[in-house]
Amino acid sequence: MADAKHTPTIAFAMGDASGIGSELMAKVLADADIAAAARYIVIGDSRVLARGASIVGLPVTLPVVGPDATLPRDRSVFVDLGHLDPKDAPFGTVNLASGRFALENFRTALLLGLAGEADAVAFTPFNKAAMRLAHPPYEDEIGFTAGVLGFDGKAKEFNILEGLWNARVTSHVPLKDVAALITPDEIIDNLVLTADALRTSGIASPRIAVAGLNPHAGDGGNFGREEIDVIGPAVETAKSRGIACDGPFPADTVFLRAQRGDFDAVLTMYHDQGQIAMKLIGFDRGVTMLGGFPFPICTPAHGTAHDIAGTGKANTGATRAALLLAARMAAAAPRVRPPAPLSVSAVRAPRKAA
Amino acid sequence: MSLPPLALTMGDPAGIGPEITRAAWRALRGRHPFAVIADPDHLASLGSDVPVRAVETLAEAAAVFPRALPVLAEPLACPVRPGVADPAHAPAIVRSVERAVALARSGAAAAVVTNPLAKTTLLDAGIGHTGHTMWLKDLAGGGTPVMMLAGPMLRVVPVTVHIPLAEVPRALTADAIVAAGRITAAALAADYGLAAPRLAVAGLNPHAGESGTVGREEIEVIAPAIAALQADGIDATGPHPGDSLFHAAARATYDAALCMYHDQALIPIKALDFANAVNVTLGLPIVRTSPDHGTAYGIAGKGLADPTSLIAALEMAAAIAARRGERKAA
Repeated sequence: MADAKHTPTIAFAMGDASGIGSELMAKVLADADIAAAARYIVIGDSRVLARGASIVGLPVTLPVVGPDATLPRDRSVFVDLGHLDPKDAPFGTVNLASGRFALENFRTALLLGLAGEADAVAFTPFNKAAMRLAHPPYEDEIGFTAGVLGFDGKAKEFNILEGLWNARVTSHVPLKDVAALITPDEIIDNLVLTADALRTSGIASPRIAVAGLNPHAGDGGNFGREEIDVIGPAVETAKSRGIACDGPFPADTVFLRAQRGDFDAVLTMYHDQGQIAMKLIGFDRGVTMLGGFPFPICTPAHGTAHDIAGTGKANTGATRAALLLAARMAAAAPRVRPPAPLSVSAVRAPRKAA
Repeated sequence: MSLPPLALTMGDPAGIGPEITRAAWRALRGRHPFAVIADPDHLASLGSDVPVRAVETLAEAAAVFPRALPVLAEPLACPVRPGVADPAHAPAIVRSVERAVALARSGAAAAVVTNPLAKTTLLDAGIGHTGHTMWLKDLAGGGTPVMMLAGPMLRVVPVTVHIPLAEVPRALTADAIVAAGRITAAALAADYGLAAPRLAVAGLNPHAGESGTVGREEIEVIAPAIAALQADGIDATGPHPGDSLFHAAARATYDAALCMYHDQALIPIKALDFANAVNVTLGLPIVRTSPDHGTAYGIAGKGLADPTSLIAALEMAAAIAARRGERKAA
């Protein structure tokens, strides 16, 4: 870290303790490129990290501080919340303790971002079943984050693989509800969010392809009219607002064109339209980014990989990509720091009513 | 017993059909013969690199095939402008399909392979056929046509096809899934030599509905259809989440995936087997395949068209016809 003043800060939360997260974290914290890209406030339990580090045979060199310590702004630290004994989180299992651990680390990282002590948040994989054991109403990261931040704006999940971005207008809704949810405003909002996120990530003039909804993008109205009545007009409106987008294109070839380099991002209309293509291209090596919040939130796209947890085999490619993306986006849009450095306990304290 | 030649239709002569037909003959001239039902003068006018010979019968075509592209003459009413669809060609396009099917029904042709055509060309000429598949059913004398897209890495069968996405949930009935599954399993056994074909059935909703929290069709429609297929003795599994059904490890567990809507089938097959996928019509009394692409008017006549899918369609049709012939002989 040559210049602390211009180095972004990432609040990096330990995810599920029973998966490959602690091994991934030990490996990336020892990675010179990762160390150079940002300053890290790592949130977790030092015993859990030590278990992962011993499996992969790497030392943990970060200074460890407690939650009450004022956070230094010139170097990376590990904040030990002391809330999980690794014995309570056996590898390869879905358990309440690991879910509770991940949830509390994530909440703390989000609050560091909200307070301005971090410019971005990253986390190692969560296990949704464990999250729900710890917090039954847990739907997804977007809903949880909005709750912690008191955020009521538009936030979206982006999937990113080696420079190809995918955003979707609808996500976890029944297929029968999709057509009614595809509105010009939704499409335009998504195009604006996507273009903003791409620019923040360093793509100066992003080009976005918009997928159609129906077979052959409706085939001129023969197989559905949403392309003519909704999607096409929304694309034209977005273009008139300066967004470089085009479409609607047939969904079965739009990703081939994007992969060829014609586009930086594809906006899809429903969950599987993008996920089938992205997973075939190799999205498990990619990054999930939550955009639209006051700061970017990045995580590897793969899961906790219970089948190889504890073996040291976990590949860090996606975690590295998530941290490097978080660092680029954070550097482009830094948060305003509080006047005096805070401690983790201070940012976690319930805010007093004004 | 050697099989008779395949009958190849002209498709839309303003599309890439003529050039990929010529390229397919060059690639296959030492292999199983085919004859195209088209305008021999038009095909000959496209270059001297492919010798074109008008023939009267498919028997003559088989003899000619090693030396020239055999053509059963179906003259066009006016000259072809590449890339410009012309309704004046529609009657010849239609007769080419009708003749090919008749030849296959009589046994003179081993199979029908269709070049791409555009529905609008036929509609503009006042001919109400809105797609090859149902038309072929009528011509072929019945059956229940089911579209399968088959490539070297994946076979997919969309249960609903060319309908708006909003209509898919209503159109998707257990009966439709069971019918498609039965025809697919029977065809994989009879035409592809798979003794105990394995079907993987996709869900409709994200994550296959997540136990009913993101849509109920998996519970109310798809799972009962799978149970019915299993009761028939068919090895069917699912409903599987659409986005985890197509990676290599998953593909190793089935011979064909039953998909609930067009793009659920088309997105993975084009991602995996873009140039090599073949459209096969299962469930008809005749064998019918076609390339997995359209007329490509935008590149017609420019020498850019890729004949790979037509070549694969011709080879697959010959292989299926040979297997049916062996079964008859046995």
